[in-house]
Amino acid sequence: MLIKVQSAANSGLEAIGVDVEVSVSNRGLPGFDIVGLAGKAVEESKERVRAAIGNSRMEFPQRKITVNLAPADILKEGSFYDLPIAVGIMASVLQYEVPKDSLFFGELSLDGSLRHTKGAVLMALFAKEQGLGNIFVPFPSANEAAIIKGVNVYAIENLSQLAGFLLGKTALQPIVYEEHVEHVEDIEFDMAEVLGQEYAKRAIEIAAAGAHNILMIGSPGSGKTMLARALPGILPRLNEGESLEVTKLYSVAGSMPPQGSLITTRPFRSPHHTISQIGLIGGGSKPQPGEVSLAHRGVLFLDEFNEFPRSVLESLRQPVEDGVLTISRARERVTYPCRFMLVASSNPCPCGYLGHSKKPCICSPREVKKYRKRASGPILDRIDLHVDVPEVDIAKFAENQKASSLSEPSSAIRERIAVVRQKQAVRFKGEHIFTNGEMKNSHIKKYAKLSREAELILTRAGIQYQLSARSYMKLIKISRTIADLADVEYIERNHALEALQYRSKAYELD
Amino acid sequence: MNTVMIQDKMYPGLLKEIPDAPKKLYYKGDWNSEIFAYCLAVVGTRRMTSYGKRICEELVGEIAASGITIVSGFMYGVDATAHKATLRVGGKTIAVMPCGIDLIHPEDQEDLYNEILETGGLILSEFEGDFKPLLWTYPKRNRIVAGLCQATLVVEAGEKSGSLITANFTKKYERKLFAIPGPLTSEVAKGTAQLLKEGASIVTCAKDVVDFYRSDPGFSLRFTPPAGRGPTRLQKTQDLHSNSTLEQKILEYLKRESVGLDSLVRAFNVQASQIGAAISILQLEGFISEDQGKFYVN
Repeated sequence: MLIKVQSAANSGLEAIGVDVEVSVSNRGLPGFDIVGLAGKAVEESKERVRAAIGNSRMEFPQRKITVNLAPADILKEGSFYDLPIAVGIMASVLQYEVPKDSLFFGELSLDGSLRHTKGAVLMALFAKEQGLGNIFVPFPSANEAAIIKGVNVYAIENLSQLAGFLLGKTALQPIVYEEHVEHVEDIEFDMAEVLGQEYAKRAIEIAAAGAHNILMIGSPGSGKTMLARALPGILPRLNEGESLEVTKLYSVAGSMPPQGSLITTRPFRSPHHTISQIGLIGGGSKPQPGEVSLAHRGVLFLDEFNEFPRSVLESLRQPVEDGVLTISRARERVTYPCRFMLVASSNPCPCGYLGHSKKPCICSPREVKKYRKRASGPILDRIDLHVDVPEVDIAKFAENQKASSLSEPSSAIRERIAVVRQKQAVRFKGEHIFTNGEMKNSHIKKYAKLSREAELILTRAGIQYQLSARSYMKLIKISRTIADLADVEYIERNHALEALQYRSKAYELD
Repeated sequence: MNTVMIQDKMYPGLLKEIPDAPKKLYYKGDWNSEIFAYCLAVVGTRRMTSYGKRICEELVGEIAASGITIVSGFMYGVDATAHKATLRVGGKTIAVMPCGIDLIHPEDQEDLYNEILETGGLILSEFEGDFKPLLWTYPKRNRIVAGLCQATLVVEAGEKSGSLITANFTKKYERKLFAIPGPLTSEVAKGTAQLLKEGASIVTCAKDVVDFYRSDPGFSLRFTPPAGRGPTRLQKTQDLHSNSTLEQKILEYLKRESVGLDSLVRAFNVQASQIGAAISILQLEGFISEDQGKFYVN
C-alpha cells in the first residue's frame, strides 16, 4: 500500500513542499530504505523511526518499506522527516487515514517522544501559504509554530498520542499562542549606569537614532563595551514585521529555545574575534545564517575590531552596504537578510594606553601604525561615526556631582529615538530604506537639505580637513540625524558643526 | 661615496673641537658648510607627551625660522617632531644616525628622511654601509649631535634618558644647555627638571634660545620666509560668526587647562551636542587644535 504524508524542507528562509511517500509492500525481503537524495541525518532517521515505533508499543511492519522524498532532486537535510516517515509507516499498521491538508514535521527520540526541532515557524508559515489547515509539530516547538495565525498547530508529545488522535480515539485541540513577556528585562545596562562619557553617549544616541554604524576608540576600561551593550536598551522595540523576520532567522539557525515565542527585542550579537568568515557571514554546504544575519534588525558588536582577521572584516563590506546576503553553494543559493547596525570598538594602540593621561603607552609609533593598518580601510569608510572614548577619572568624577544630573535613563532616550525613527520611516516611505544611516547619495540630495550656513561650514571643513567625497556625505548623513533629534527639517549650522566632531580623525595623524 | 675626513677643510669646525671627534663622517645630501654655522641640538624622549609635542613644534618651529639649523637624532618622539617642525617652516635640519649611512632607522620614517634631503638638509653618520644600530652606537651618535652645536635644547626627558647623555656631552664640551620645564607630575619632566636644577638655562619662549645666538656678532637675522610652504597656523579665511558666549567661555577655560569634550560638558553643565558644535567652530576658525582627545588654544 502507498501512503502520502506532506512535509516541507527549508532552503534558507524559503520552504519547499516535500511529499513523503511510504510504500509498504508484501513482496520482497523485509527491509527499510529511504530514497530521494537523503542526507546523512535523513538516512539515520530509519533507526530512530524503527526504535520509536517499537518503543511506543506498536508493531513495526516486517515488510519491505520504501520511503521516497519527492521531489527527488533536492538534497534533504535535517532530522525533521522522522515524524512524517513514522506517520506513514504507522498508517500501514493501524490503518488510519492520513489527513490530507496537514503538514508533519519533527524529530523523534528513540522512546517515541518528539524533540524540539528547528525551523518550526517557517514550516507553519509555509502551511499557511499553501492553504494547509493543520500542522503537527513537536510539543516543545509548538508555541513557535503558533506564532503564525490561521493555522491549527497540534502539539505532539509522542507517537502514541498522535496515533490515538489519528485513529479518532483521543481528542487533541490546536494550541493557542502564548507570548512570553520577556522585554521587561531587555535593558542589560542602563545608559545612566555609564560613568561620564557624555560625548560618547551622545554619539551612541545619534547612531541609534539614525541606525548609523559607529566606531569607538578608547583605552581598556573606559566603557566602550558597556556603551555598546547599553544600545539594545535605547533602540526602539521591533515592530511586528521585523519581529517575524528575526524569529524566522533564529528558528532556521536553531537558536530558538523550546517553547520560544516571537522575538521582540533587538538582537545584540558580539562574536569573538577568532570567528571564521563562515561564522560571521554564514555558509556551509546547507547554508546557515551567520552572525550578520542573526544581528538582523539589531546590533553587531565587534569588540577589539583590530584583532579580527582582515579577511573576515573584508567580507563584511557587502553585507554592511546591502543589508542582504546571498550565499551560493554548489547545490543551492540562499538569501538571508542582514540589516544590522555595526558597532566596533578598538584600542588606540596595542598596549591600549596611547593618549591616556595617567599610564604611559609602551608602543613604538611603528607598532601603532601597524595596529591601525590592520583595520580594513573600506570597512572604516562605511562607519559613519568615529568617537573617542577617553578614560574616566573616577576621582574627578566624584567631585563633580553635576554630572549625575545629566545622565538620562535608557527608557527616556529610547522614547526619543522611537520618535525619530518613526519620522524617518515616514520620510523614506517608498524608498526601500528606513533610516538615515541607509541613505545613498540620491537620498541625501533629496532628503538632507542643508541650510546655507550649514553648507558653508561643511564646505569649509571639507577643505580644511581634506575630506573625501564619501566622508563629506557621511557628515551630511550624521547632520540629518542630529537635525531629526532636534526636530527640524532643514539641517542648521549647529547640526553640521556637531557632526564634525564625529568624523574620522585617524587619517589626520602624522 | 660621500665622506668628509677630519683633516678636510669642510669638516665642521665645532665638531673638530671635541676630544673624540669622528675621524670620518659619511653623509647624504648636498654638503654646504653654511649649514653648520649656527646649530641647535634638539633632543628628548621617544615617549613624548602631547604637551611636549606641542611645545616642541611651537618653539623649534620659531627657532628654525630664525635661521638656526636644527640637529637631532632622527628617532621618533622629540627627534622626529623637531625635524618635522623645522621642515614645516622651511628651515634646515641635520639628522645624525646611530646606524650605517645606508640605513634608514627607524625605517618607517622614510618620508621624513627624504624630505630632509629634498630641502637641503643633511643625513650624517660615522658608521659606514648598512651597519645596524646597537646599544652603544646611540651614545656615540649623541656626542656628534652635541658636538655639532653651540647649544642643546632638551624638550622632555625621563630620569634615565638617552637625552641626558647628550646633555652631559654638551656640558663636557662647555656648550650652552637649555631645558624646557614640564609638569612635575610627568615622568618625562624629571630629567629636564634635574638639568634645570643643575644649572641649565630655562626656556619659556623661542626668544630665550634665539637671543643666545644673536649675541654672536656673526649671527644676523637670516630668516627669509621661504615661498610656498605656508605659515604654520591656518589662516582665517572667512568669518563663520563665532562669537557666542559659550565659545568665548570655552576658549577662556581651555587657556587655563587643556581638556577633552567630556570635561567641558561637566564644567559648563550643558549638553554634549552644544559643546561639540562650539568646539567645531573654534577648531575651524583655528583658535584651538586637538591632540589625542584634548583641546589646546593656539
